[in-house]
Amino acid sequence: MKQFFGMSQRGDLKEAVRGLTNPQLILLMSNSNQFEEHVKELEALYPQVPSIGCIGMCYDTRVAEQGVGVVAFLNGVSAAANVLEQVSVMPVKYIHRLKEDLRRVNASQSDTICIDFCSGNDACVLTTIHTALRQQNISLVGGTGDGGKVSANGKVYPDSVAYALIKNQGGKVKAYKENIYRQIGDYKFIASQTDKANYRMGALNGKSARQVYQDILHVSEQQILTQTFKNPFGKLNGDETCIISIKEVNGNALACFRQVNDSDVLILLELGDYKQIVKETIQKICQDFPRRSAVFSVNCLFRYKLFSENGYMHEYLRDMSTLGDHAGLVGYGEHYNNQFVNQSMTCVVFE
Amino acid sequence: MLFRRDNKHTSGKSQKKEKDLSPVVYVTDSLKQYHTDLVEKEVASLWELNLIGTSFDSVLGETERFQEKLENLEQNFLSVNEASEHFVTVKNDIAKTVDQAQNEMEILKNSSLQVETHFGEMGTTFAALQDSVELIKQRMSRIVSIADQTNILAINASIEAARAGEKGKGFAVVAAEVKKLADEIKDLAAEVGSGLQDVEQGTDKLSESIGTSREALGKSLDKVQETYNMFDQITQAAEGATSVHTQITEVIGESRTALGILCGFFDKIKDQYQEVIKHIHLAGRLGTTKSAMFEDIDNLLSQIGPIIKE
Repeated sequence: MKQFFGMSQRGDLKEAVRGLTNPQLILLMSNSNQFEEHVKELEALYPQVPSIGCIGMCYDTRVAEQGVGVVAFLNGVSAAANVLEQVSVMPVKYIHRLKEDLRRVNASQSDTICIDFCSGNDACVLTTIHTALRQQNISLVGGTGDGGKVSANGKVYPDSVAYALIKNQGGKVKAYKENIYRQIGDYKFIASQTDKANYRMGALNGKSARQVYQDILHVSEQQILTQTFKNPFGKLNGDETCIISIKEVNGNALACFRQVNDSDVLILLELGDYKQIVKETIQKICQDFPRRSAVFSVNCLFRYKLFSENGYMHEYLRDMSTLGDHAGLVGYGEHYNNQFVNQSMTCVVFE
Repeated sequence: MLFRRDNKHTSGKSQKKEKDLSPVVYVTDSLKQYHTDLVEKEVASLWELNLIGTSFDSVLGETERFQEKLENLEQNFLSVNEASEHFVTVKNDIAKTVDQAQNEMEILKNSSLQVETHFGEMGTTFAALQDSVELIKQRMSRIVSIADQTNILAINASIEAARAGEKGKGFAVVAAEVKKLADEIKDLAAEVGSGLQDVEQGTDKLSESIGTSREALGKSLDKVQETYNMFDQITQAAEGATSVHTQITEVIGESRTALGILCGFFDKIKDQYQEVIKHIHLAGRLGTTKSAMFEDIDNLLSQIGPIIKE
């Protein structure tokens, strides 16, 4: 298989797709002003080609912040794309679409990946999608787009999740998640007084979540929102740690970018040696896949900001490009199998 | 191969699907699956808790045995302490005995010197006595000889004086005087006898001195014997110290064995604790996965209401 990436910093889709012929799946990453236009234009350029799209920045070795980017898969893949609608209330109503597509691409664990672009209610969406994917242990990589809408097969859908199933006919696929944070101290918190709808957690081990965060990190209330770059929370799920960013302070509670539930076990994280961690991720991928066709990743907006502020973003993209054709989306939240996480990188590697 | 669907032209079958209650059934089936998983996780959690209990029981059992061994170890240390105290006593006894022996040796030395002095005095006395006796003998011999001659001369003179008659009267007086002198010599001889008596007394004194010397020498011999006895005691005391050392060595050996057992217990307890910690971590991990599953259940259940309403 082959992965194509094209971008136009000025939002010219034709420029972005220059040289793209016979794609078998297209991922569109556009800007909020031109999204509908780009979706329509792309459909006109490549009718009947499965596609999904969202509003968000994209990158290969450079980042297109305001323009448009296209990732396409060619040669040696079979793909299907569609949406689950009404994700804020009942995405499961459309689950049969995914189940049918899984059957049609003859999905199997070793060679099939699901890539999704979601407009919101991510945790619920991932739970719903996972009910279908888990039957065949299909991995998922994806992220949250901006603007509360996504596109699939030439049409824009509000309040939806667009998914693409990609079966690599030339080898294996595998999903990865990269966490550049590590646990700080031995703190373990049981979350309570949570508000699922507003992603709010009121108390940690029975004490004000805001106060607990401030007391441990010795930061003022005003510093909390910037401190989350260095010290987000981690939700434990078996051996996995799902990073949770703090969105804002609500009285004694902390509102997050991800749902927190009563009885969730949380830990506090601190920024690790991210350059070394990135190297280790690349090494791991190289060990798992001596021959790589392509890598598609989703990087959190927080990571993008952090890396950019530290002057590392360009180096990061250059390092990732050593894996081969690498492109991706800057998301507002990252998806890894059934996990909705923040401040992370998820990616799929095609053999 | 490309698969895409234009949702504007969904099939009638699919449209029907989206309007009936099949999603509810789907949610229910999914929930059942989650429930099954949840029960499995719960069973696994309980099993892990059971393992924690078992591990802790083992830990407690090992701890009790460990405590017993510690008590034994404490007893061993007490024995070491007692043995050490005994050793100290023995050492003190040895020091005291040696000190006594040194004192007795000093006395012995003084006694020997005294004996030597006495024997020196005795030799001098004997030499002086011999000289005196010899001299007395010589003088006595001469005196006796002179007295005999004098008597003979006096007798002869008296005889001649008698023969001379009147003319010899004066001579007779001289002869009488000579005789008188001879008598005085006899008196002197008597005094010599008295001197000899003094010599005899000196001899007695010498005998007494010899007796004293013998007595002193006897005392010295007694002291030597006592010293020998002291050294015997020292030897015995040293043997006692050796015995104490042997006891200490034995106790230390026992302590080492006990310590070896103790270390073994520590290893076992460490293993058990690690096992406990492992199970606790597993239980904790299962707990966090359950939390994620509860979230999944909640996410699915939250969709039922809107679906049914629709």
